[in-house]
Amino acid sequence: METIKHFINTVCRPQIIFPVILAVFFFIFPPTERLLAANKKLGLYKLWTQKGGIALFCGLILAFVFGLTDPNFTKIVTKPDNVPIVGLIFLIVFFVWFSMKQAWENDARIAQGGKPKEADDAKEKILVWPDLVYIEFIALILCTVLLILWSILLKAPLEEPANPTVSPNPSKAPWYFLGLQEMLVYFDPWIAGVLFPTVIIIGMMAIPYLDTNKKGGGYYSFAQRKTAVSIFMFYWLVLWLFLITVGTFLRGPNWNFFGPFEPWDIHKLEALTNINLSDLVYMTWLKQRLPQNIFLREIGGFLVLLFYFGALPLVLAKTWFKELYARLGPVRYSIFIVLLLLSVSLPIKMFLRWVFNIKYIIAIPEFFFNI
Amino acid sequence: MAEPQERHYNIERLNMIFALASCVLLLALVWMVADDYSREWKNYQRDFRALEIEKTRVKYDYAENELKAKEEYRSLGDHLKEARKAFDANCRSALSAGAQKKLAVEDDLLNQKYKFAKAEYDAARYRYETAKANGGAGVGQAQKELDETGLKLASLKSALDRSSQQLADQKKTADACGARLKDLERQERAFLQKINIFKRKLAKIDPNEMNFTNRIADMVRDLPILDLANPNFKLQQIVLKDIPEDLNFAKVPTVDRCVTCHLGISNPDYKDAPQPFTTHPNLGLYLGNNSAHPLDDFGCTVCHGGRGRGTDFASAVHTPSSARQAREWEKKYHWRPLHHWEKPMLPMTHVEAGCFQCHAGQTVIKGAEKLNLGLNLIEKAGCYACHEIDRYKNWPKPGPDLTKLGSKISKSWAYRWIEDPHAFRSNTWMPAFFNQSNTNDPQSVKRGEQEIHAIVAYLFQNSGKPAAILEENSGDFAQAEIPSAGDPQKGKELVASIGCLGCHRIEPLSQDQPATRDILRREHGPNLVGLGSKTSNKWVYNWLKNPHAYNPDTKMPSLRLSDQEAADIGAYLVSLRADVYDKTTIPPVDETVLNEITVDFLKKTETEGAARAKLATMSLDEKLSYCGLRLIRQYGCFSCHNIAGFEKEKPIGTALTEEGSRPVERLDFGFVPIDHTREAWFFQKLKDPRVFDGGKVKPEDEKLRMPNFHFSDEEAEAVTTALLSFVKEVPEAKIVARTPRNLAIERGQQLVRTLNCQGCHIVEKEGGAIQPSVKEWLVNYNNTSENEAGAVVPSFSPPDLIGEGKKVQSAWLFHFIHEPTTVRPWLKARMPTYALDNGELNDLVQYFVALDGEDALFEENIQGALPEEEHQAAEKLFGKDYFDCAKCHIIGSQLPGGSPENWAPDFALAKSRLRPEWILKWLTNPQDLLPGTRMPTYFDPAGFDAAGPEDILGGDERKQIRALRDYLLTLTQQPGDQPAQPSADHP
Repeated sequence: METIKHFINTVCRPQIIFPVILAVFFFIFPPTERLLAANKKLGLYKLWTQKGGIALFCGLILAFVFGLTDPNFTKIVTKPDNVPIVGLIFLIVFFVWFSMKQAWENDARIAQGGKPKEADDAKEKILVWPDLVYIEFIALILCTVLLILWSILLKAPLEEPANPTVSPNPSKAPWYFLGLQEMLVYFDPWIAGVLFPTVIIIGMMAIPYLDTNKKGGGYYSFAQRKTAVSIFMFYWLVLWLFLITVGTFLRGPNWNFFGPFEPWDIHKLEALTNINLSDLVYMTWLKQRLPQNIFLREIGGFLVLLFYFGALPLVLAKTWFKELYARLGPVRYSIFIVLLLLSVSLPIKMFLRWVFNIKYIIAIPEFFFNI
Repeated sequence: MAEPQERHYNIERLNMIFALASCVLLLALVWMVADDYSREWKNYQRDFRALEIEKTRVKYDYAENELKAKEEYRSLGDHLKEARKAFDANCRSALSAGAQKKLAVEDDLLNQKYKFAKAEYDAARYRYETAKANGGAGVGQAQKELDETGLKLASLKSALDRSSQQLADQKKTADACGARLKDLERQERAFLQKINIFKRKLAKIDPNEMNFTNRIADMVRDLPILDLANPNFKLQQIVLKDIPEDLNFAKVPTVDRCVTCHLGISNPDYKDAPQPFTTHPNLGLYLGNNSAHPLDDFGCTVCHGGRGRGTDFASAVHTPSSARQAREWEKKYHWRPLHHWEKPMLPMTHVEAGCFQCHAGQTVIKGAEKLNLGLNLIEKAGCYACHEIDRYKNWPKPGPDLTKLGSKISKSWAYRWIEDPHAFRSNTWMPAFFNQSNTNDPQSVKRGEQEIHAIVAYLFQNSGKPAAILEENSGDFAQAEIPSAGDPQKGKELVASIGCLGCHRIEPLSQDQPATRDILRREHGPNLVGLGSKTSNKWVYNWLKNPHAYNPDTKMPSLRLSDQEAADIGAYLVSLRADVYDKTTIPPVDETVLNEITVDFLKKTETEGAARAKLATMSLDEKLSYCGLRLIRQYGCFSCHNIAGFEKEKPIGTALTEEGSRPVERLDFGFVPIDHTREAWFFQKLKDPRVFDGGKVKPEDEKLRMPNFHFSDEEAEAVTTALLSFVKEVPEAKIVARTPRNLAIERGQQLVRTLNCQGCHIVEKEGGAIQPSVKEWLVNYNNTSENEAGAVVPSFSPPDLIGEGKKVQSAWLFHFIHEPTTVRPWLKARMPTYALDNGELNDLVQYFVALDGEDALFEENIQGALPEEEHQAAEKLFGKDYFDCAKCHIIGSQLPGGSPENWAPDFALAKSRLRPEWILKWLTNPQDLLPGTRMPTYFDPAGFDAAGPEDILGGDERKQIRALRDYLLTLTQQPGDQPAQPSADHP
């Protein structure tokens, strides 16, 4: 038992779990034909069937039942603040499974030359009264019941008036912001708190203009929109919900990382010494001191950034994204690629941090300019 | 025609689901209301009401029975019956009811008519007045109307007067007839007054005593939702506007809702009731309207802590006194620790910590014994020397001066002492620094040995050197030769008698003796066991002769010993040896270990290489001295001791002024499995100061350094109480006023404490710690039997200073403390000479004056000459035939006969010593001023006017007392009498 718990604690360390998730994710939600073929070969699509769903839920429930035998896990999961996140996990799994199941079913029908299931629905007609209104009303009543029972059984976790001299440890943002708070670990506030949220909003506004694929409108489908679905799922599941879950259950005192079965020891110390790219370039590789000149010192980082945002789009346009470039044209492609690269920089930075202890690519604390 | 409509769902089924969902919603709502309605405190209020009904009923029954047992009450009933019968028979018939009613109706009618007429008349008058003013039109008509209505009014008025008179007459007759009945009824009411109070109360709270409508109302008013108006069961609270609660961004009044459940807290009837209804155990001091802390002004949480706004057991932040109680509460009350509240209730074991908030200025907080003990222990242990504590600002260093220690002790003694002070003197206040729980591994022990060597070396190298800053305290101790060999036997007797034992003990004491403040007083100075192993005869002799020459700041007073006495005592004290201690081996200086220590210190400012290079240039002595300096700084030895070279160092410990408010999360519990509460941490820290290093890997110089005082559990608990009392926020509005009088008392109390006056005297009803030693002296040296000694101990002990401010003249007291003279020649114990400065002397005098509420420092002036007649009368009273004062009292050089324990103070001192007003009161009733005094009461207060002899001064007691007083004040001037010489040195 303890060995299993210890194993899970170890696996949950971000250095391990984050690369594993990165690796597995694209097999489950394959963005390209080749990965899709691999997915089919491995039989991963079977997750999106009735049996797969039952297995998924049984696995999830078993995991929780197993976890609840552990006092630390129980303490964290049953904290009134955290209970909604437990609910969130179950709901997300259900809805992802539900939509993916319909998408794969439709894909199968289309592959056989048929039409998606939604085509069977009567066209141009929605039975509002009384059908829709009635079930909405019933849903409303049941939701009210749920909220009342919740408020009775689980008292609101109200605390005493805030004291500026005694901040709670860990200090956590509201659950829906935990993803942003987690980003702060990897980026300076001006990037994680200002640039990224802005880009997220602009990027979402740009989606209709960038995505010119007319297939998949009005019905569920994966095969026809695999790249779009895969990208969306990556941000939604991994970079948003996964980070919220991590922030809720695995971030403990001093924002240290704790395995699900690890007690939250306020005195836990972790070796978190990070280095900048310039340290790596000059000290580790070139074996010399950092140059005095700031530009010279950070030239490595600038080159990397230049390559990343300047050369990489061109390279990609000629290679991987050749087809995409042809479809989108230069303007749309530029916008798309900048947004994509910006957003991909987050997992890249996380990966660099966890695996190579890289703190900043460009570190100019003199001007508060750190990337 | 209605077409069958297209449907997506089966509406019948949806109807069913809808019905079901609605039912579930209804149930949820009912549950919600019920959940909101049911509160823990309502159950308590219901229980309390049942208890209240029961108590009131018992009281009612008791009062009723008591009343029924009264003869007067029973006979009153008979009389009443009789009187009612008589009234019915005589008066009621005499007043024919019908006629009276008719008359009353007529009167009412007339009255009504009169009011109408009056209104008409007023209106007519107005019309007339305006018509006249407006120039005459219609004046005639208006005047006519006015006259008519005026006439009508007058006739009605007279009719009304007649009718009222008639009515009044009739009533008078009736009253006269029923006068007896009325009187009896009044008497009955007086009897029933008490019982009716209970009856009314029962009618209010007991449904069985209510009438039907009230009973319905009583039920309805507490129903859910309807209880918004005026329910029986509601929150009770005390709002304290002058004690704000700091919410960090706003201040709000303290609100204590404790009384919502603690309903009987201020009611003496509930002493034996179960919790939470039990009465406060000390209503005289707390909560009562006439007590010092009325409930409405102080509430509960101000003293007890906790969350006043909480209305259930856990949210009020009750704190259990023990782990067992915690488990019990968890089961019984669903208690859980509420870590968000920074001021949890003080557990009952430390409840006195609350007193300190407002009483911080007072040296002694009356009634808070544990807190006082804790504070005294902090003073004795000298916690304030390393840890800054506001209360002890400017207190002297608790340890002895070490700048001249070379003249006093040997290096080997110093080594042994530092290594384990408790081995030499089990109850010493010198704490143990070495061989503690974090330094008892072989390597640390070895290192510790060399550290001690270094410290000793430093101290001896710097002993006797002129210090740079403390000029007056520099140079070595000039020791005179002992003039003649002392006799240890005589010395022993002297020590037993002259008062050394007020502050010192000379016997090995076990560490587990109970801790009381009285015992602390007896151990004010060091225990003198084994002194011969510590120092030389010569040093003791010189020290006794003049302690201030060795250490100007010492608390040791001079007892004005003669050379021979000092030699005797010295001989006795050095004969006490601790042989076992002397024989403990001292490990040799180990240069390798010492090198390591030196390098460790050098490395702090230099690189390892430079440190090693420097080490190579140092001699052994230099290394010892260097390490000694650094170690004394590290361990903070200078905080308690004067050490040359450390005159400007700051204390090394954490400031403790607000320790009681320190958030628990800032206390490092390490790996010690104890409750995470302040009190548990403090207690553990005091019991083993190094315990929180357990299981940690630390370099030597980062280890915890606090030394071990070997506190007993009891002592550690008391100090914990004191520490808990040092809080940040105090209720400013309630702090004991710092009036000049209070300040004088505070200053005096501090002196009384540091000088240990209570080691000998009883001051403020406390002290006299020397008395057991006096008793021993009586038994061992004065041939007194055990029983007898017990009885006469007070006579042979230094006096009780009760009422000293009222008793003696301030000028005399000032001079007496400065240079004591003999007042009671039969006492062996001597009043010591302290090296007090003028400020301190004045503080002491003011203290006694303030304590007795006297405001004048000087006494009234009494003329010496006495009229002849009074002089003779006084002499008679004074003489053998009457009071025979000289039988006990000394008059100058003339000593009374009999044994010394019956002697009384010298009259020759009266004029300069006593306040004349006090002598009058003393002669009138000595027991009143000094309960238990042996002075006879010549004027019995019970029959004062007949107490004095009738044949003197016309039997006027007041005159007799006055004459006697005036006579006493002349006694020094009597020819032939020599005024008593100060003979303190040779009593």
